[in-house]
Amino acid sequence: MTDPLIRLTGITKVLKGQQEPRTILDGVDLTVAAGESVAIVGRSGSGKSTLLSVIGLFDRADSGQYELAGQDISRVPERRAAKLRSSHFGFVFQRFFLLKHLTAAQNVAMALVNGQGWLPRRERRARVLEALDLVGIAHLAKNRPARMSGGEQQRVAIARALVRNPRVLLADEPTGALDTETGALVIDALLAATTRGCGLILVTHDRDHAARMGRILDLDAGVLTERVPA
Amino acid sequence: MRRFSGRFRSSLIIGLQGIRARKLRTLLSMVSLFLGVSAVVVVQAGASIAEKALLADLQLTDGIDGTRIVDMPPEPKAADIVISTLKGRTDGVATLGVSAIIGEPGVRPVNEGGSPIDEDWGGGMVCYGDGRCEPDTSNGPEGAAIEVRLTALTGDVRMFRPFTQQSGRWLDFSTMPSMAPRLVLNQEAAKGFDRYRVPAEMRVTGASANLTPQLIGVIDDGDQQPRAYVRLDELTNWLSPANLGNGGAEMRVLLAPETPTEQILTTKLRGAGVETYVSTVESRKHRQKELTLMRLIFFSMAGLVLLIGVAGILNVGLATVGERIEEFALRRAVGTPRMLLAGIVLAETLLTGLLTAAAAIGVCVAGLKAVSMLIGDSEPLLHNVQFPWEAGVAGILAGIVAGILGGFVPALRAAGIPIATVMRA
Repeated sequence: MTDPLIRLTGITKVLKGQQEPRTILDGVDLTVAAGESVAIVGRSGSGKSTLLSVIGLFDRADSGQYELAGQDISRVPERRAAKLRSSHFGFVFQRFFLLKHLTAAQNVAMALVNGQGWLPRRERRARVLEALDLVGIAHLAKNRPARMSGGEQQRVAIARALVRNPRVLLADEPTGALDTETGALVIDALLAATTRGCGLILVTHDRDHAARMGRILDLDAGVLTERVPA
Repeated sequence: MRRFSGRFRSSLIIGLQGIRARKLRTLLSMVSLFLGVSAVVVVQAGASIAEKALLADLQLTDGIDGTRIVDMPPEPKAADIVISTLKGRTDGVATLGVSAIIGEPGVRPVNEGGSPIDEDWGGGMVCYGDGRCEPDTSNGPEGAAIEVRLTALTGDVRMFRPFTQQSGRWLDFSTMPSMAPRLVLNQEAAKGFDRYRVPAEMRVTGASANLTPQLIGVIDDGDQQPRAYVRLDELTNWLSPANLGNGGAEMRVLLAPETPTEQILTTKLRGAGVETYVSTVESRKHRQKELTLMRLIFFSMAGLVLLIGVAGILNVGLATVGERIEEFALRRAVGTPRMLLAGIVLAETLLTGLLTAAAAIGVCVAGLKAVSMLIGDSEPLLHNVQFPWEAGVAGILAGIVAGILGGFVPALRAAGIPIATVMRA
């Protein structure tokens, strides 16, 4: 059996700076393999986004071990973390976080112009168009976000996440701002990435979307448990 | 190196995108910085122009920096030695000054004693012990004559004192000497000739006869006294070198630096018992202290104005970072290192600073040209004045410094934005 892409062991995160420290993640164990899709569900404030932040190296766990592709990255410095974010992860958020002064193509290219290596303009353009094509909106490459619907904007955000061929896609309630039908299209686009061997971790409140993932994990009061299929 | 190049290009591309996206803010930053950079450019340009003008004046009167000067008492044997030593040499020029009166014979010159035309040095009055003064008539009545210092030259002195030609032409040392000595007047002497109808007859003490001079040109030599320049060989047709040392004459030799002629000349003169005083022209060095002080004062003022501009760019920069928190958090999320984020903000403020510097330099160049065209004729300092390159460099440096100072704090803020808090759903 191959090593899992992500292995979290005993991850704990305590929120400090308040009157009483609050445990957000309490000994979380999680493994995700390449091409696997995992849904994390739970009530608001249960620690889903914090867990995603720890996995995506936005934030550090207070204790526990984090292995990425067999390497222990629990205590990597910020510079290396930035490099790993660029090379291993793609992020999709509920709010699309598109820059309104840039076109769809420029928004996608943003992930390529990040100081982690340099691609010539022609190659950059080809990869951007390929990513936009993967989510079915290559024809909107020159449009600015203001001229696109919510679903189209989210697909631009997915293209931005895919353009560096990440090994894991982290999606934090990507359909939260979309209607059911558009949300389903976005989930389709995310799942399509898993067929190319990309892992997917989806944080969602939507049970239907969660049901389309390979596994569903419940996060409650910082404790992660696997939901047994009915 | 390759990584650095990628980051540099990334920060430039993103910085330019940021400027294009926020044109109004960039313009506001530029407006606040414009005055500061302009102040630096104007001060530097003014200081350079004033320094050049001051040094040009000093060069006219004292000589070009580095010129060796040999002064000696006006003795007949000294004149002989100087003339014979410098004959055929191009690295030194002797200047021998005597007094001359040009104009009607038998009258007192209008500027007796060789005073400036509009000044009275007290010539023409005789004062007694009891305090009584009355007109001096011993030299005859005042008439149409002008007294000048006549400087005889062994060669073209302009390589040591760069006179500026005002009209006519300079002395030609390559032709045969004329029996009617050719004179080039300085501006003060020309003023007298312009004001009075002076006949062309010249009296020089010790000359075998009165001379008939030809006035061929006017130069600016920086001297306030009326002065005329003549070829030594044309003057010595009428006045023997031995007589050049008479009547309050002045003798000076100007030499190129490190020329063997100096040693030959001084040795000969000392051997003949003539005392020599050798010095070097160091106008810039002598004026350096006051020039530095002048620059310091003006640059302090310009620096203060620049600081106000920096505060403006800092203010706009901080506000912009506040507005762009999500963008910076997103860039960090996609792998942009903190250093590059700081670099992006610095690149934007640097580009703004450089654009402002370019605009300020452009305006100052145009302004100087306009001022030169409008009042250049009445103000010699501004006549045909060129924009000094030092001012351009100072402007660009001011733009860079302002960009770095104004962008430093916003860059630190941008680099410290936490991704997790901003990107939370």
